[in-house]
Amino acid sequence: MSAPVGISIERVARSFGPVQALVDIGIEVRAGELLALIGPSGCGKTTLLKCIAGLLPVDAGRIVIGSRTVTGPGGREASLVFQDFALLPWASARENAEFGLLLRGAPAAERTQAARRALAKVGLAGSFEDAYPAQLSGGMQQRVGLARALAVNPQVLLMDEPFASIDEQTRRILQDDLLRLWSEERKTVVLVTHSMEEAIYLSDRVVVLSPRPGRVHRVLEVPLPRPREALDVRASGEFARLVDELWQILKKLQ
Amino acid sequence: MKFDGMKFALSAPEPPFGRAGLAAIAGLLVVWEILGRLELSIFIPSASTVAVAWWGLLTDGTLLRSAGSSFGSLLKGFLPAAAFGIALGLCMGRFRTLREVLDGWINALMSAPLSALVPVLIALFGVRDTVVAATVFLFSFFVIVVNTMTGVRGTERSLVEMARAYGASEAALFVRIYLPGALPAILLGVRLGVVQAVKGMVVGEMLISLVGMGERLVYYGNTFLIPELYAVIVSVLLVALLSATLVQACERALVRWK
Repeated sequence: MSAPVGISIERVARSFGPVQALVDIGIEVRAGELLALIGPSGCGKTTLLKCIAGLLPVDAGRIVIGSRTVTGPGGREASLVFQDFALLPWASARENAEFGLLLRGAPAAERTQAARRALAKVGLAGSFEDAYPAQLSGGMQQRVGLARALAVNPQVLLMDEPFASIDEQTRRILQDDLLRLWSEERKTVVLVTHSMEEAIYLSDRVVVLSPRPGRVHRVLEVPLPRPREALDVRASGEFARLVDELWQILKKLQ
Repeated sequence: MKFDGMKFALSAPEPPFGRAGLAAIAGLLVVWEILGRLELSIFIPSASTVAVAWWGLLTDGTLLRSAGSSFGSLLKGFLPAAAFGIALGLCMGRFRTLREVLDGWINALMSAPLSALVPVLIALFGVRDTVVAATVFLFSFFVIVVNTMTGVRGTERSLVEMARAYGASEAALFVRIYLPGALPAILLGVRLGVVQAVKGMVVGEMLISLVGMGERLVYYGNTFLIPELYAVIVSVLLVALLSATLVQACERALVRWK
């Protein structure tokens, strides 16, 4: 397995017409780190993630993943996971998981094998692989989305509010599954979220963006012990204190 | 109308006749038979008389001969209409400039009374069954273009973004996202197109009045052979129904994921 890589975001700016979405963004994502991006709506957190994925060009500055400067979409280092899952409704779970490999021209046997392995990692082995997305619950659909991201074996996962449209109980299970996967796979993860609890529970550091234009407002270290999914971290006083600290920061930004 | 169509495409296609539908047809036949037996007018023959006339036309070969000619024109007009219609619709859905140039024309021609163009077609092609094929093409082409274009434009943005994020080329986007995404709308367009094509076939044949089932309609109408006239009308309905059912079977086979 390839070693994780860092992402260096250097003085990045991006505007949409006259509206400045991002100004002078500088973030060093460490290799293997799980970094959360949070901020009030309109702070440009999703825009920044799309810039990292190469879907949106930056106006100034640059983004380097590992040793490659991002110039457009389709880079092999990073996979995106979408808030609305973005599954092909006409393709089965396995075909969806294969999609990234299909676009890269991998032979069918290799695709199927990689997709099955990825589906097993996210807990969807066996009978689910022939189901269409419409037959799966939201949580299972996002598992397929995650399997698609993992099947191409990227070094970086870029997750855009991946659990935002999933019910609370399922979300907690998926968060624990993500932590387990992350510790097994040693990937660098950048997670956009609007949930303070999610940011604190999952990440090593939380980057708080301020709105209009989006700037890096604060970087909060999260020194909670790991593996958090096994340690019942949510019930700890330290967890509550960190969530409150994040809330105090965000409150002043509203 | 376009929107009703889209909604229809999103529900699974139903078989044309459920139990209630069959009961309604049986009821209609009974009422028709009674009205016919009352001998109100020679223009209302009883259902059984029509059935006898239909059987007569079927066994003496008249019906098969004219239906064969009609079906030939239908295929010659409809298959190119479907092929070109889908191709043009895909391009118009994808390329904005092309859409802006052609959209007005397509909409105008879709709603225009196309029968008015048949004399022009006769001038162009002469009085032959080519005119019928051309009429079929004109009647079915535009609805297929518009539905295909609507389907492409309705493709979810997030799927396009996802495919681009995973490195899809422009060609891959077309084949892997836009085409399958538009497929239900395309097939709906084809189904509506088939119905239009049958209309075009009858209009073309009646106006040049030399070939196919349209010629029989005009002939039996002019010679007051009313049961035979009804028999041919019923046959035209059957052709339309059969064509639409065939397309629906294709829909069910191709769009299993809904």
